[in-house]
Amino acid sequence: MAPALALYTLIVLYPLVQGARLSLTDSIAGGPGAFVGLDNFLALADDSRVMRALGITVAYAVVVVVVQNAIGLALARALYRRIRVQRAISVLVLLPTLMSAVMAAFIWTYLFAPDGGINHILRALGLGTFEQIWLGDPATALWSIALVNVWMFAGYSCAIFLAGYMSLPSELLDAAQVDGARGWRQFASVEWPLLAPALTVNITLALIGSLKVFELPLVMTNGGPAGATTTLSIVIFDKIFGGEGNFAYGVTISILLLAVVVVLASTTQALLRKREERI
Amino acid sequence: MTARPRSSRVHGDRGLTHHLGSVVLALTVILILVPFGFTVLTAFRPREDVAADPLGLPTRLTLSNFGDVIGRMNYGVSVLNSLIILICSLFISILLGALAAYPLSRITARWSLSVYRIFIAGATIPVFVLIAPLYLLQRELGLLNTHAGVILVYAALNLPIAIFFYTSFFRQIPVELEEAAALDGAGLMRTFFTILLPLLRPVTATLSTFLTLTVWNDLIIPLVFLRSTELRTVMVNAYALIGTFTIDPTVLFPAALLGVAPLLVVFIVLQRQVVAGLTTGAVKG
Repeated sequence: MAPALALYTLIVLYPLVQGARLSLTDSIAGGPGAFVGLDNFLALADDSRVMRALGITVAYAVVVVVVQNAIGLALARALYRRIRVQRAISVLVLLPTLMSAVMAAFIWTYLFAPDGGINHILRALGLGTFEQIWLGDPATALWSIALVNVWMFAGYSCAIFLAGYMSLPSELLDAAQVDGARGWRQFASVEWPLLAPALTVNITLALIGSLKVFELPLVMTNGGPAGATTTLSIVIFDKIFGGEGNFAYGVTISILLLAVVVVLASTTQALLRKREERI
Repeated sequence: MTARPRSSRVHGDRGLTHHLGSVVLALTVILILVPFGFTVLTAFRPREDVAADPLGLPTRLTLSNFGDVIGRMNYGVSVLNSLIILICSLFISILLGALAAYPLSRITARWSLSVYRIFIAGATIPVFVLIAPLYLLQRELGLLNTHAGVILVYAALNLPIAIFFYTSFFRQIPVELEEAAALDGAGLMRTFFTILLPLLRPVTATLSTFLTLTVWNDLIIPLVFLRSTELRTVMVNAYALIGTFTIDPTVLFPAALLGVAPLLVVFIVLQRQVVAGLTTGAVKG
């Protein structure tokens, strides 16, 4: 245990404490800096770029969590009864999950380009009026990136929901059928409550992952246009390594990100666990 | 008499919604897979053809796009760098993780649970919180721009997951197994290496698969800690392409495929190990 603890202390715990200490200084490029108390934290509230990034990050996470899980759940429900294709399809839809965000961003950067795949398809279908500069328009850029995120992980949500379906007692579903509950009613009254544990896992994972989103906006838009896709992680990276070298303030924003992740993840988890107990 | 037509109507209803469901399912799966198919097809088309007809099917195939990108990404060296970092960090996480998880799962004292919780909490810390202080630490230790530095970071960051995997696994193994070994005069270390280690193979395969994905696909750590192109990983050198050739599909698509290809190879190999591990476990069980 000692070697593990030593490595973990050096690379995780010590930097964590160092980070907390840095956030109380005005250190540039990692110099010692002067102690400034909570000035950095107070500056956060007045920093419109950070506050905007906070809003963007949370909105992005909410949309991704909802859409990704809705698609994953629909897929899992469709696959649950189709035993012959279940394995093959659940593996196929997992393919985008194996990809790195950088590679996924490469593919979609072209698809979303002004003269790229999606606009060409729209033109070919006679829907030219729907053409957009997807990543260049502040109104569509963030949601285009959210779509890529959903594309990457809908199959993952599906796999978790499918595992949930597999653990449902089949007698219960049969009994519901005998009682005349089918289709939507069976889903709403039997499956949905029983899938609570899978839902908890799925929402927690998707929430933590999407709040930390970094590579997709970095590669696809570099935070633009006009800051519309500047998430908290992009601001942090930019502050620390983007020329300013403002380590102290960058770390302060990262503590804000940590707080957001911990607060949102633990609140939703607590709510979902409570819901599980009720059921 | 009346029951019959009723039940067949019910059946008909179910058939209709079932078929409708199948169509929606098929469409969703196609929508998820189309970007892949399009990427593969376009990557092999000559640049002029793609420019003339971006959505067209390939009429001529070429490898020259791949040749270009391999050169620009410094691909051979990048793959080697990624592999060195992946294998070394994986080895450390697995070894230290398993060795730490063993006592953590066997010692029932309260401090043991606290240590376990401290380890597990590490899994939720966003890497951005650690990256600036880690940069300074590595600068002090002279580890910046070295593979060793990146390997240590990954090994430590992946430790919580490894400990989580192994601890839950050890908790399922009956203590009687080790007590029997102790009666036979085997020491703790010997018990660990001769009795427990072989049992760990399936869980290690699953864990390796998971960590391989995380490490291979990561951008931020090698981007921050490695400066020289000849030390950088596949993801970083692929990312460097984007500035210069932003939206040319004959650059982006081969790059995307080259970034995934080694992973697919590794997976086919590992998948067999997973299956083998599971079947031998089942046979012995």
